[in-house]
Amino acid sequence: MVTRSDPRVTPLRPAVFHILLALSVEDLHGLGIADEVERASGGMLELGPGTLYRSLAEMVDAGLIRSVRAPGDAADPRRKYYRITAAGRTSVAAEARRLQRLVGAARDRNVLRDPT
Amino acid sequence: MTARAARWHLRLFRALLLAYPAWFRNAYRDEMEQLFLSRLARARGVRRVAALWPRVGADALWTAIALRRGRTELRAALPQRRRRAGGFDMLVQDIRHGVRHLMSTPIFTLGAVALLAVGIGANVAVFTVVDRFLLRPPPYDRPDEVVYVYQDSDDGEPSSAAFPAYRDMAEQPVFSAVAATSPAQLSWERPDGTVDATVEFTTASYLAVTGLEMVRGQWFSPHHDVVGSEPVAVVSAAAWRSRFGGDPEAVGRTIRLNGSPVTIIGVGPESLGGTFAPVVTDFWLSISAVAVGGQFRVGNLDRREDHWYSVRARLAPGVSVEQARAAMQALATRLGEMYPELDKGRGITVQRARDVRLFPETESTLALATAVVLTLLLLACANLANLLLVRGIGRSREMAIRCALGAGGVRIARLCLVESLLLSLLGGIAGLVLARVALSALPMAPLPPPFSATMDLAIDGRIGVFSIALMIVTGTLFGLAPALRAARRDVAGELREDQRVSSAGRATMRLRNGLVVVQVATSLVLVLTAGLLSRSLAATQRVDTGVDAGRVAFTRTNLARAGVSGPEAYVLLEQLRERVEALPGVTYAAAASRLPAQFSGTTTTIVEGYTPPAGTEAVELGFTVVTPQYFDTMGLRILTGRGFTSSDAAGADRVVIINQAAAQQFWGGVAPVGRRLRSQGQTGVFRTVIGVAADAPVNTYPERPIRPMFYAPAAQAGFGPVYVLARTEGDPAALSGAMRAAVTEVRSSLPVLAQGTLESHFGAALSALRFITRVMGATSALAVLLAALGIYAVVAFNVAQRAGELGIRVALGANPGRVVRMVLGEALVSVVAGLAGGLLVAALAARQLESALFGVQPLDPVTFGGGVAFLTGVAWLAAYLPARRAAMADPARALRAS
Repeated sequence: MVTRSDPRVTPLRPAVFHILLALSVEDLHGLGIADEVERASGGMLELGPGTLYRSLAEMVDAGLIRSVRAPGDAADPRRKYYRITAAGRTSVAAEARRLQRLVGAARDRNVLRDPT
Repeated sequence: MTARAARWHLRLFRALLLAYPAWFRNAYRDEMEQLFLSRLARARGVRRVAALWPRVGADALWTAIALRRGRTELRAALPQRRRRAGGFDMLVQDIRHGVRHLMSTPIFTLGAVALLAVGIGANVAVFTVVDRFLLRPPPYDRPDEVVYVYQDSDDGEPSSAAFPAYRDMAEQPVFSAVAATSPAQLSWERPDGTVDATVEFTTASYLAVTGLEMVRGQWFSPHHDVVGSEPVAVVSAAAWRSRFGGDPEAVGRTIRLNGSPVTIIGVGPESLGGTFAPVVTDFWLSISAVAVGGQFRVGNLDRREDHWYSVRARLAPGVSVEQARAAMQALATRLGEMYPELDKGRGITVQRARDVRLFPETESTLALATAVVLTLLLLACANLANLLLVRGIGRSREMAIRCALGAGGVRIARLCLVESLLLSLLGGIAGLVLARVALSALPMAPLPPPFSATMDLAIDGRIGVFSIALMIVTGTLFGLAPALRAARRDVAGELREDQRVSSAGRATMRLRNGLVVVQVATSLVLVLTAGLLSRSLAATQRVDTGVDAGRVAFTRTNLARAGVSGPEAYVLLEQLRERVEALPGVTYAAAASRLPAQFSGTTTTIVEGYTPPAGTEAVELGFTVVTPQYFDTMGLRILTGRGFTSSDAAGADRVVIINQAAAQQFWGGVAPVGRRLRSQGQTGVFRTVIGVAADAPVNTYPERPIRPMFYAPAAQAGFGPVYVLARTEGDPAALSGAMRAAVTEVRSSLPVLAQGTLESHFGAALSALRFITRVMGATSALAVLLAALGIYAVVAFNVAQRAGELGIRVALGANPGRVVRMVLGEALVSVVAGLAGGLLVAALAARQLESALFGVQPLDPVTFGGGVAFLTGVAWLAAYLPARRAAMADPARALRAS
């Protein structure tokens, strides 16, 4: 039996996953995260303001990310920047592995067959 | 899109934001609007803008609902492992937050840490000493079986025993082993110079009494208990390490003590120190080695009138202390019948080792010190609690905001806890450092000279842990208060209240005023105790020593080491004295067997025409053997009769000079000259009193009352170790080189055992009292400062909290002066209540202090008046300054600031 808290099956919300992915490279502010998520997903994923900031608030609360002061060269030093925590990295890696396993399972079943 | 259209879209978006909980809106409104505007700017064309809105609307609605439903979803969704990692992250975050917060309020932090350091440090230091002197069980195996056996002194007090009496005790079957020990200071000649060694002469049975194991080598055998067999030594484990570097070759080595060779046969048990813990013993010497300590020690072994030995015994299996007591009482009766002149009515007392306090005279001082530091610790706790509570109230708004922002009660409690723990940790470290410094300054201080040897005073870990734990508990308890308040109260109410156009709520007000009362009361107790102690300290500095010590230097030597005794020794001493007197600047030179205020032997004396109130017919009298110039050299006045002259020679009539205390006690001060006294052992050899000298302290300084004693002329008495004293017109300290040279020139074999000035000697004698009083004084002074800071913080905070209210009063037309007066009046009520409570407690405490106070009344009006005035002043300032600032501020600004 698998439980809900088993990391192999419990998915992260896509928004959370994408925010973590965006922050895994560098510290960003909210707007920067939204842009990066959009860029990384090839324009497929556009985080709404509510989704973005609700996720950020909850992720800070859950200890996945924390807010840091803006770097010295930031355009707008008043903006709040976010940094991924160790827990955040663990989570994003676990989620990526979970997705990888799913992709692997899909590949094994030939669902990824080239449509050609 | 036109700017105008954009404004409309933004308005609509803002309306949407109303769906969110307020905390979320307040935190993210600006950034969300920016994001919305950037999306809006990107959506070119009416269709794309139209497509934007459903998405934004659905997004807002969905997340708003999620947020309002509670924010546990993400955390619940997080896998357990990740959540734990998150917890650690959070802890790091909490610590970081705590450090940041403590650093942002440096005065509070420094104050609290100093408070903790003083409380913990003073406690650890004093408890360490108390523990070593009073509490720690003797280091023996199965200590419950070990008893101390005392023969009564002539005053009927349990005291040391005569060696023949020890032999009688050792024959009793109630004991499985009985041992006798007698301490001495010897000079130990090492290749690198002569040093003092603390030794104990002891019997072969001692090891069996302790029940301990030797580290290496052998203990004494029974044949070592007889004078005539080879003199041997056992080095203590501590001295083996410190003085021999733990060299295994030390066993078997021959050392020279007081010029005599002694062979080391073993290294003593690990934990065994001197008989008088915590004094460390360097060597135990066998009874066969007593001659090393002086020929008189050989004679002592057979003299029932010389009580030189402490007796320790181990009860035989199955024998109770009561049975041992009965056996010893029977022995005492027998001895009284056999030696009526010496032992009639002289009891023998048996005490369990763990019931015995070794230095009764230090006990009251230590008890006092303990009481003071305990009070200090409690006050430090109270003070810390107060500081934390005050800060807690100040932070209630912050806590409320945190609550409103969704921080759970647990999280807030954690924040408070982490901060308190950080504080306690810092304070604990500082306190231990303080204790270390205090203890390293201590050695030799609280003990009278014969015992002033190395002391083992390592900080006791348990005490450190206890003090720090107490502080942590205090810190936690009161540090959590703001979190509890935050959890208990309705957040909105708290926030509303602190929007404060009104004054504080009644409960908060009462709490604040209560804090002021407690703070003022505890501070007053502190200030008054500290005041009494420092005035007592000042009084001891002014005590008259009876002698004119300012210009006297001394040099200690031992005539026996030149191989002379009797009349020959006196001739040599006179040569030495004349030599010193001829030194430039020296006006008088003399010699004496001991200095004032120095523990020394006594002699059992029969005083003609005086019947002691208890015990035998005799009294124990201290004595000093002096040359005729002694009184002039010391500046000690002869009050009645005459001083010694050169005609008081060996063959002449035997004479003595007594001190005033003796004249008073024995004959009520009436016509002492011409009266007679004699040593108990020497029937028929009377000494006639020829004069009465002014009182000088005998055993200790300050000594209250001065003990009776007598002076005997050097020509009529034997002596070995001797002090050569010189009165000079210049600086006595500068004389030491010339005196040392004089000693060597007179006889090159004469050692210089010690040098110094009489003033420094008195200083050392005073150091016990002075040291403890000074430590107490310094600690109290620091505590007073903290108390003042505490009062200031509490009162000023109280008033500052009302700044908004005061500003409004002024804005509404109240006279600023009257507002200030009103605040002062209100603050005064709490302060006066605190002062009243503090006075009551302080008066009770002062009664307890009475025995330790010197030259100060417990209810000293100067101290009490000064203390009350000082704290009232501090409280007044603390209320006045912020009140004036609030009343004088621009009312509009005061309102805005709130």
